[in-house]
Amino acid sequence: MIIVQRGRWRRGLAGLPVLLLLLLMQSGSGVRADDSSFTDTDDIGPLTGEQIYQHICQGCHMPGGQGAVGAGYYPKLAGDKKLISWEYAAITVLNGRNGMPPFALPAAAAKETRAVRLSDAQVADVVNYVRSHFDNKYRATVTARQVQALPHPGAGMAPAE
Amino acid sequence: MENDEVAAAMSRRDLLRLIGVTAGSAAMYQAMSALGFAAPSPYQGPVDLSGAPPGASVLILGAGMAGMSAAYELRNAGYKVQVLEYNARAGGRNWTLRGGDSYTELGGATQHCEFDRDLYINPGPWRIPYHHQGVLHYAKLLGVPLEPFFQVNYNAYLHSPKAFGGKPQRFREVKADYQGHVAELLAKATRQHALDDAVSQEDQERLLESLRQWGALDRNFTYAASDAASDRRGYAKNPGGGLSARPIPSEPVGLGDILKSGLWQGIPNGDTFDMQTALFQPVGGMGRIGEAFGRELGPLIRYNSKVVDIAQDASGVTATYVDSRTLSDKQTARADWCLCTLPLSVLAEIPLNVGAELAAAISAVPYASAIKVGLQFKRRFWEEDEQIYGGITYTDLPITNIGYPNTGFFSGGKGVLLGAYIWGLNAMEFTAMTPPERVQRALDYGSQIHPQYRREFDNGIAVAWHRSPFTLGCFGMWSTDARARHYDNLCQIDGRIALAGEHASFLGGWQEGAVTSSMDAISRLHLRAVAQGAKA
Repeated sequence: MIIVQRGRWRRGLAGLPVLLLLLLMQSGSGVRADDSSFTDTDDIGPLTGEQIYQHICQGCHMPGGQGAVGAGYYPKLAGDKKLISWEYAAITVLNGRNGMPPFALPAAAAKETRAVRLSDAQVADVVNYVRSHFDNKYRATVTARQVQALPHPGAGMAPAE
Repeated sequence: MENDEVAAAMSRRDLLRLIGVTAGSAAMYQAMSALGFAAPSPYQGPVDLSGAPPGASVLILGAGMAGMSAAYELRNAGYKVQVLEYNARAGGRNWTLRGGDSYTELGGATQHCEFDRDLYINPGPWRIPYHHQGVLHYAKLLGVPLEPFFQVNYNAYLHSPKAFGGKPQRFREVKADYQGHVAELLAKATRQHALDDAVSQEDQERLLESLRQWGALDRNFTYAASDAASDRRGYAKNPGGGLSARPIPSEPVGLGDILKSGLWQGIPNGDTFDMQTALFQPVGGMGRIGEAFGRELGPLIRYNSKVVDIAQDASGVTATYVDSRTLSDKQTARADWCLCTLPLSVLAEIPLNVGAELAAAISAVPYASAIKVGLQFKRRFWEEDEQIYGGITYTDLPITNIGYPNTGFFSGGKGVLLGAYIWGLNAMEFTAMTPPERVQRALDYGSQIHPQYRREFDNGIAVAWHRSPFTLGCFGMWSTDARARHYDNLCQIDGRIALAGEHASFLGGWQEGAVTSSMDAISRLHLRAVAQGAKA
């Protein structure tokens, strides 16, 4: 469980990012109905594709990739034919889709929207995990290098770290 | 002036209709603004929708604050109004969970709220700043009583497991010590002539005196244990009466320890415009506003209705909907105009024939992840043991907040805390857990601040907004970049459809954003309707 291993991924209270966040929250475009000035989302540390799925993705896509339907829906990933395209899956994780957040924003934009940043290797890992679990049986694995070659959000806006 | 004279000569409505016919609605909007007809955001009082064309109709999607404030105004202006709502209740994110309520999240987990009668948690909004005059207007109008919400409580805590051995620090101590030390340093720099270039000799005297007052410094401009400092941070032994009355000053924490602790980050929490005193909450829970709106609008709202298609044509808008419980029983609703207040996370997945710019805007806004956990305890130990009456403790544990009830003080019996209010990555992780796991985590973390948790815990409930069936997320998270490219397009009327909600505002996540965006949108829809009415 990520939350148990807090020491590994929740670094010390870094003052600068929090200050930045406070500044953003006070600027016109950053007005928000929350005020948790302690939270930072800088670095989720070294996680496998399975861990990423279980700690982040399954909040919406549900355990087992079952998806869910309410007023809108979260796509069911189990048996999802679209996953035949690893590019589709990876681009979705990188850039988001509809209400789904992007997971590869440049650092400043990620900070502003409290988005979580995954490395290209982590995106590859989680795509590989989803494409080889939940009744999905795609053999070919994707590499960080292949993910790197795909369009990333905000390219040209700010240098990626 | 000129406008006033013209307006005197002919009725304002005639004038507007004339402008609308000859120059189009944009010119009419300008004229209306000049005449004081169109109320611009932020909220400046009820919108004037006079002159609605007879028989004109508006279909409103969503019975939250945006949809219901619009329905209220449009109905009163003479429009035929119909509201479709996914839930079985009115309010949307304006919502309170009370003892006896049940809530089923996406994925199927059902939680039964086992709080005592009259105890509650607001899973969504929980405070109303005094300048959110739109929300306050409707609360008053609907007869919903309000009471104070304490954003700042000097006796609540700032906490980090990495600071002061994990011992929570009283807000007043951290604030007084930080302020005192900073004042002392600045006084020292001034007296050592480090500021001679920046501050005149006369002003230096004034600055020093202001620092002495601001920082509770002694006559030597030192911040140290003293009556003055204790008057800010609290005493080691409080003054009282009689023989045992003599107060004992407390010892300030050193500057280095304060800085190293990071707790100074919690000091400005009540200083931002949104959090400045006074703030309010409805008596009995935030959901009282939505409930009152629902009663007011009565049969205008059709509940349990899930919109599955929205189509506009030259003469109107048709929404197709099904029963949200069975996903069957397909029906349609049609009106001349449509105000769509569905969250973008939902709307992006519904077929809708609008222009490319609006379509792109609808898909451009990811939704924030947020969690709230309500914990009921067998007694109000935070009051009884720690003299914390309302307000918020801040921590850098993943729970980030512990919110104390701002009502029911000194009452015997049980009490409910907001045990966690989480954003970002930690919220996603909490969302990925089962509801009982979320409650357990909130207990684990919170007990580091209040050890009484273990003994006094009764029951809890956890709402993860990305598991909310009616929103699929908490609120629209605009980046500066996305706002620059898409915000105006999102707010423009597309044919016969206008969007409203917190997502169509600069008050993201606030109810005031929903209300002001709705007033703005219906003002503009009204202009179109009036202009068309004149043509007919």
